[in-house]
Amino acid sequence: MTTLTGEGLQPSEFAVTAARAVADCAALGPREQAKHLANDGLLGVIASQDVGGLDLPLAFAVPVVAAAGSGLLGFPLMESLLLSRALQDTLPRAAEAVVSGEMLATVAWQGSVSAEREGESVVLNGWVARAACARDADCVLVRIGSGAAALVPTDSEGVVVEDAAGLDLTVPEHTVRLQGVTIPAVSVLPDSTWTLLGSDANVLRAAAILGSAETCLAMAQEHASTRRQFGRALSYNQALRHSLARQKLALEGIRHAITRSVGETAGSIERDAVFLAAAAYGCAISEGALQVHGGMGFTWDVPVHRHLRRVRALQAQGDASGSLAALGRRTIAAIAPASDVAVSG
Amino acid sequence: MTVIETESPEAATAGELSGEPYRVAMRRWLRANLPASFRSDSPAFSSPGLTQSKEWEAAMYRAGLAGITWPKAYGGHGRTLREHLIANQEIGALAMPESVNSIGKELAGPIILAVGTEEQKHRFLPAILEMRDIWCQGFSEPEAGSDLAGLRTRAARDGDIWRINGQKIWTSGAYRAQRCLVLARTGPLEDRHRGLAMFAVRLDAKGVRVRPIKSIDGRESFCEVFFDDVEVLQSDALGAPDEGWNAAIRVLEIERATNRMYRAWRFENELRHLISACKSDPALAQLVANRHYEARIGEVVVDIEVLKAHVETAVDALVNGDRIGARGSLAKLHWSEAHQRFAALTLELLAQASLPQLPAVQVARRRFEAIYLQARAETIYAGTTEIQLGIIADRILQLSKGK
Repeated sequence: MTTLTGEGLQPSEFAVTAARAVADCAALGPREQAKHLANDGLLGVIASQDVGGLDLPLAFAVPVVAAAGSGLLGFPLMESLLLSRALQDTLPRAAEAVVSGEMLATVAWQGSVSAEREGESVVLNGWVARAACARDADCVLVRIGSGAAALVPTDSEGVVVEDAAGLDLTVPEHTVRLQGVTIPAVSVLPDSTWTLLGSDANVLRAAAILGSAETCLAMAQEHASTRRQFGRALSYNQALRHSLARQKLALEGIRHAITRSVGETAGSIERDAVFLAAAAYGCAISEGALQVHGGMGFTWDVPVHRHLRRVRALQAQGDASGSLAALGRRTIAAIAPASDVAVSG
Repeated sequence: MTVIETESPEAATAGELSGEPYRVAMRRWLRANLPASFRSDSPAFSSPGLTQSKEWEAAMYRAGLAGITWPKAYGGHGRTLREHLIANQEIGALAMPESVNSIGKELAGPIILAVGTEEQKHRFLPAILEMRDIWCQGFSEPEAGSDLAGLRTRAARDGDIWRINGQKIWTSGAYRAQRCLVLARTGPLEDRHRGLAMFAVRLDAKGVRVRPIKSIDGRESFCEVFFDDVEVLQSDALGAPDEGWNAAIRVLEIERATNRMYRAWRFENELRHLISACKSDPALAQLVANRHYEARIGEVVVDIEVLKAHVETAVDALVNGDRIGARGSLAKLHWSEAHQRFAALTLELLAQASLPQLPAVQVARRRFEAIYLQARAETIYAGTTEIQLGIIADRILQLSKGK
């Protein structure tokens, strides 16, 4: 796979492979999925070649995660992609195991634990939440304090994986309690880990939402064109045409914002904004698609609700509400009060 | 009266620069030369008169900030669209007035470049950039707003002369313009989109009458323009007869996708101004520090970032030689509605000032009340929101309208 890193490789080229792999995973359990995705080279897209990855920029993970969203993959793909790279320097063997699909790892996106150093070990206490597929995972990355993180084997003594309420049924998010869990000190990642992880996760969450939203709109479009009421296709109705047009505007907004967020000059504002735009627009698109389907949308058979569930779960996982206020707060803090001179300086 | 004194040396050297050095040169020139009285976020602001605006815009042109992508042969600077975007980012960063000749620079110019004869390009384009000819846009009519297919103004050919009869409305700035870009019908009304031709009509021609209409912001920027047997030479006809509709579509696509490309950055300037004004008033400073308004400001930032993303995608597409087509409607719909949301927020916040007499609050209120009123038109002009939604449904989603 390393030959793929040659110049001229485009992120879009991964979309087809990823879509096929996601479709093939439909009937498989998590471990087989890991193997399957690894065989297609998808788990190490952004990890270094030293751990078996392709060493490509984050932009290349976007179509992979979008395909997973579109196909409602029941696997912590975003977490695997990010972990393979986050672990590559400190815990290269673990990174390698993630890339090869030997080890199933996830991230607890909410909460943090306390850590106390004891010789060559560290003792962790606390609880974390929103760990996708933690029930099946071998390891979970937990946040320590505000910025560091530790990779914790789920079979360690003192680790309790609990079920938690959650909308996304295919990627259940678990709460993990840690009571005096002892891990080797080398399993603790540096202080900058969490910030980088969170920033990249925002882009990939937007990508996952893009995949779901694209599928929802396509379904709504199809339904509006084929379903007949009052002797005409639903799409004859201007209110529905305009609703679908708004969904298209929202979808392209997410897509363009993702392109911008992985551009050369992108910083934290672009990364936060892409997630916030995707969260807001993604909900509007999937809810709008549900509305277009009418009563049929509320049957279990029409999978729009499964996308809506996932988009809402991703919105909560990235703490959209808190991030939005934080983005506003940072913007406000950066600007001085008006004085006698023009503001634009 | 001369208000634009001089140009700093940067302008003279900008010709060889590109990328970041070009940006820096444009930024320095703008900041060195833009009079404080032109800046609506300054206490020194007073709305510039026509003469001042023309001098300023001519100076901007000489400094390399207008006609950026137009060929050098016609007075342009022959630069790339990416440099156009860079210059627009710098223009947007400052609270300067909108161009009094944006129709000339962003509509008439591009269409003349697209369909004009060599003679027309040499005659019209430099005059636009040097601000000798201000243009207005004669598309809308009392019976046809967004529905240009229903135009009734007629042009009848008589040898080398066309005779134009009819009426245009919502012709912004016609009272100060020298030329009007007129779309007129040469075939029967039943032909709808066919049989439309475009003309560069002199507004001082015999039979043209301009009547200003007072608008929502109290200004008389809109006009009605009446054409009573106005004679237009064939040399002022733009493109072949019957190409009129195609030319109009092309112009409108450009208008929606790239017009005032600085919009996102001006929007950002407005947000900065709002926040700085709020911070100077005790009650507002407290208000914007609560979570509700933090989130509302966060939403504005997201709107701006998404707008930048639309603009940059459009530039990438155009640079790659793609036609923007119906996709121009996406950006138009987003900016027009996002700006209205923002404008409503500015009024809501500023209404809660504890010291409304503070100069900073006064300056902000003057600017944002005007922006709020003007923004109401943004979902109407260049094709209403409903028209844009229809375009997206028809041409992008290709939803069936049939039985």
